[in-house]
Amino acid sequence: MASNIFTAALTGMNAAQYGITTTEHNISNASTPGYSRQQVVLSPSIAQNYGAGFVGQGVDITGVKRVYDQFLNAQVLQGQTQASYLSSYNTAISQIDNLLSNSTSGVSVAMQDLFNGMNGVANNPGNVPSRQAFLGNAQTVVNGFQSIDQQLTTIASGLNGQISNNVTSINSYARQIAALNSSIKLASGTGTALAGQQPNDLLDQRDQLINQVNQIVQTSTVPQSDGSVSVFIGNGQALVMGSRALTLQAIPSSSDPGKLDIAYQSNGQNITLQQSDLQGGSLGAFLNFRDQSLEPARSALGRIAIGLATSFNQQNQLGQDLNGAPGGNLFNAAVPQVTPNANNSGTASVSGTIADVSGLTTSDYQLKFDGTNYSMVRLSDKTVTSLGAGPLSPSAVVDGFTVNISSGAMAAGDSFLIRPTANGARDIALLTNDPAKIAAAAPINGSAALTNTGTGTIASGTVNPPPSAAPDPAHPLTDLNLLKPVTITFNNLPSTYSLTSSNASIAADVASATPLTVGPTSVVTVASTTNMVVGAPVNGGGFPPGTTVGSITNGTTFVAQMSVGGATNPPAPVSGQTLQVGNYPYISGGVSLSNATVAGSAVTVASTANLVVGAPVSGAGFPAGTTIASITNGTTFVTSAAAVPAAATGQSIQVGNTFNGWVAQISGAPAAGDVFSVGQNSNASGDNRNALLMAGLQTQNLMANGTASLGALYSQLVGDVGSKAQEMGATSLAQNNMVAQMVTSQQSVSGVNLDEEAANLMRYQNAYQASAKAMQIATTMFDTLLSLGK
Amino acid sequence: MMRLSSSTIFDSNVAGMGQQQSLMLKTQQQISTGRRILSAADDPAAAAQALVVSQSDSANTQYTSNRNAAQSSLALAESTLQSVTNLLQAVKSTAVNAGNASLSNSDRASLATQLNSQLQDLVGLANSTDGAGNYLFSGFQSGTQPFANTAAGMSYFGDNGQRNVQISASRQVPSSDSGADVFMRIKNGNGTFVAQAGSTNVGSGVINTGSVLNPAAVTGDSYTIAFGGLTSQAVVGNTGTGAISTPTVTSQAAVTGNDYSVTFTVSAGVTTYSVTNTTTGLPVAGMAAQPYVSGQNISFDGLQFNIKDGATPFVTGDTFTVTSPGYIVTDNTTATQVVPATTGRLPYVDGQAISFGGMQVAIQGTPASGDTFSVAPSANESIFKTISDLVTTLKTGTPTPANGGGTSLANKLNHALTSLDNSLNNVLTVRSSLGSRLNEISSLQTMGDSLGLQYKQTLSQLQDVDMTKAISDLTQQKMGLQAAQQSFAAVSTLSLFSYLK
Repeated sequence: MASNIFTAALTGMNAAQYGITTTEHNISNASTPGYSRQQVVLSPSIAQNYGAGFVGQGVDITGVKRVYDQFLNAQVLQGQTQASYLSSYNTAISQIDNLLSNSTSGVSVAMQDLFNGMNGVANNPGNVPSRQAFLGNAQTVVNGFQSIDQQLTTIASGLNGQISNNVTSINSYARQIAALNSSIKLASGTGTALAGQQPNDLLDQRDQLINQVNQIVQTSTVPQSDGSVSVFIGNGQALVMGSRALTLQAIPSSSDPGKLDIAYQSNGQNITLQQSDLQGGSLGAFLNFRDQSLEPARSALGRIAIGLATSFNQQNQLGQDLNGAPGGNLFNAAVPQVTPNANNSGTASVSGTIADVSGLTTSDYQLKFDGTNYSMVRLSDKTVTSLGAGPLSPSAVVDGFTVNISSGAMAAGDSFLIRPTANGARDIALLTNDPAKIAAAAPINGSAALTNTGTGTIASGTVNPPPSAAPDPAHPLTDLNLLKPVTITFNNLPSTYSLTSSNASIAADVASATPLTVGPTSVVTVASTTNMVVGAPVNGGGFPPGTTVGSITNGTTFVAQMSVGGATNPPAPVSGQTLQVGNYPYISGGVSLSNATVAGSAVTVASTANLVVGAPVSGAGFPAGTTIASITNGTTFVTSAAAVPAAATGQSIQVGNTFNGWVAQISGAPAAGDVFSVGQNSNASGDNRNALLMAGLQTQNLMANGTASLGALYSQLVGDVGSKAQEMGATSLAQNNMVAQMVTSQQSVSGVNLDEEAANLMRYQNAYQASAKAMQIATTMFDTLLSLGK
Repeated sequence: MMRLSSSTIFDSNVAGMGQQQSLMLKTQQQISTGRRILSAADDPAAAAQALVVSQSDSANTQYTSNRNAAQSSLALAESTLQSVTNLLQAVKSTAVNAGNASLSNSDRASLATQLNSQLQDLVGLANSTDGAGNYLFSGFQSGTQPFANTAAGMSYFGDNGQRNVQISASRQVPSSDSGADVFMRIKNGNGTFVAQAGSTNVGSGVINTGSVLNPAAVTGDSYTIAFGGLTSQAVVGNTGTGAISTPTVTSQAAVTGNDYSVTFTVSAGVTTYSVTNTTTGLPVAGMAAQPYVSGQNISFDGLQFNIKDGATPFVTGDTFTVTSPGYIVTDNTTATQVVPATTGRLPYVDGQAISFGGMQVAIQGTPASGDTFSVAPSANESIFKTISDLVTTLKTGTPTPANGGGTSLANKLNHALTSLDNSLNNVLTVRSSLGSRLNEISSLQTMGDSLGLQYKQTLSQLQDVDMTKAISDLTQQKMGLQAAQQSFAAVSTLSLFSYLK
């Protein structure tokens, strides 16, 4: 019985020692990350029935457990993944935000200065210093774009480094988790004497490692019966299974070698993980940041650069430089970046061209071929545009650009990544440093003869975009005949005028644009009240002088039974000959005239009298659909001169919208015989018409389908990046606070409180001392017994 | 009560202080930069808006300097044209002076010399350049001297270009005027037509500038007013060889301008004559069957002549034609006579209006038969031509009584004075246009200034920091941080271990 006292005291002392050791362990690990405080689990030893009742045998140490709440831990894990994602994204996007927000040295100010420089040129077109200043401004804009692009590229390559580092870390953590899985399996000692006890510190370590992986990429875990834990990323891709860990790799993307994809090896093949599988954590943040913020920002900047360069180039090409030559390109504009998919099996080589800057978006595109049809996918919203069965048409413009297979052929399943504006900011460059090359002047100029007796005046004229049919091959932005001189002579009465030119090709131009012939039995219908003109090339066949039509009433049909000169084409002009292109009515209110006023074809009458059928709008004239019974050679057109009202003051005419690629307005009241001419501008160092148009590009909505100016696009970019940064900053802060709450909750269960441990130390010290006292008492009892025997 | 782990106490305190420090740093940066928005993330909407506003502000500043540029070009042109106006007024007074009948040829020659030097001054003004050496009046060809003498007189070598300047976001004004419009494109005459005396006129008729009566009837054709008549002629085939004298006018007021025939009748040895007005086809009253006396004056309708017998006496049917003096007007373009509608002429009355084709002119003096006056649509006549023609007139126009007693000079001076008035009007019109452009610019200048102020205010509201608030925030954040530090120091030293001995 007395030995029981020893035993019980001894178990008490043992338990106290365990307690003290565990407490010391807790104190030592108070700051160890991931550590869960441990507690000695005690239970009374099984009492012995001595007949008089059950007598306690002391205390049993059942085990040492860690204080751990799986639910709270899972919460922290989840929260930290998200917090890590947000804070990584926030850090990354803050770099772009700061880069673009620099308001004093940014592209925005440089663009503004560029337009101011062009205004300076407009104010002083012949002044070389003001032209030089503009070139300086242009260089600053170019540098601004390039420097931001350079920094974005640096951020991108830094990002690739971080992605690789993250992958290395995941691999290292995965291997450690796998190793710990085996250790835990061993330590748990399934089937051995050690069975039933938890290796607390190993479990903590493993939890901590899972936590670390989770901060890089979101994972899910499934505990196994043997004590190991399986770790999955994404949609169930196992990262760790038991003691085996998967090795991830960062490899260049098959669609875009400049980007890193995450892949793993399986049977010697690289299997790429979908980006949607890599959510949360810093890796998820980096991948999302790259695709949703960095590349769009670079493309957006590139779009502005391409818009600026192309708009200036196009306008400059419509002008005339200080040397009197047609304007050229001022800036280099980037072409779409086309990258073949690494898995392509076809031989196609694809190139892209920017067709229309206003249609450009900031998205990337994928050109696909399914074996029959081509299609273009806009990657930002997965919109598919079918391009048909091919061959790809150069005029098939998708969102402002076109693609063309320059050689080879695509195989079914092949794809190309098209990034129309990605290199815009990188590739913009100033192409000239010659101040004379700024085409401040317009290439044409209208003039009124000093001998004119009427009050008509002609505007200097403006240049039109080229016709789709016949642009000038040497200057594709202008009409072939732009610079050909044309004379406008007012007839008697001055309600009509004729266009003449000593240049044969203008007549040819008119001939090609509007056939001068009417087939033998064709029915000519007057399309509109717009004044039909009868008149002819002087040396054409057509109607002879005095062609007559009996009566013209509303609703009759013009049957022109004739052919011009017996042939389908008018006779070829002879060098030096003056060709009369036709007579045109002088119309009030600036109604535009085309070369032909009869549906599709000009009815021509070779008449020295310039017979006019139809009348100015203000007159009665032919109503719409006027038709004439039959016209044969030799009949006479009877028109009443009285039906043609006199030109009134303030009237203006617009000479054909498409005529030779220019528009020059004549206003006032020209007199019969008055002559106006439009031809090439010369010595025009004081002409600033084109410079004004270039300066005006600033306020024009050139971009985004005519909804935004260049400056507006830039402020939109700054606003977009800023609001993303703001969103990330705010949510990151909130998430951090939430994680802090979760950690506090989790720590309130598992964390070490030193005061508590101090109390425990004292408690176990007291218990030990008490047990020792019991032992002393027992010894004294034995001594008493033994002394009884002396 | 929640259990706290020791590390939580440290972690949360450190995190809290970190947050307070970063807030303080931000406030401090806002104060040191003076800007509320340090990066776009601070207020993306305002940052984007600020970029747009600062672009507008910069454009507005540019328009101000555009306006200054336009203003200085326009002011330069205006001051040049001011000199041109003064010069033209001086030329005009010289021209008026030259009309003084008491001047001798040498007096006029010296006036011509004076005019010639004024002409050279005018050419100099028309070829003015700005500070950079660009010609003011050569249109777009600012490097080309606009006016130079050629074989055809002073010619214009510039073009019609007018340079515009963007003076506000929506407005462009021309900052230059073409020399052709200022100096060349000036309608002569009264702006619709010009009346001039024929160069071979010998009479003393002087034609005035004329006026338009009915603009709708003006054809734009050119006309000739030809004086003639007062002739007499024997009809071919007369038997009698008697001759008719040249008629004289006895009463200008009675002259009809009509044609007449004098026909003889010999009946029973008595020779009589009758006068018929062939224009009207009626016999002349009181002139039927008058007894013929050789050499006796025959007078009717203000005309007087006689017929003398020849070797062969008159027989019945012998006829003489007589025309009375007057003028006809012919439309040269259509080659038709417009006045009078019948044969014959209209009688000329000194200073009476002559009307045709919606126009009216008047001729004073006594035009001789064969004199012509032309009425043509106004054409452009340059200031230089007007003056150099005047110089030529004054140098060469020696009036002699034989060729109209100085009416050639008077006609030419009339024309020159009208043209000078037209030139002066044209220059004044251009100047008033310059003035209105300058006015518009200065009114836009005021608007631009207030717009600029408004942009700057908006910008300030968008991105500038409210100093008072920022400094008070900073003080508050500093106090908060200090309190956190002090309480942390106090809390962190509390440990049960301190009491374990």
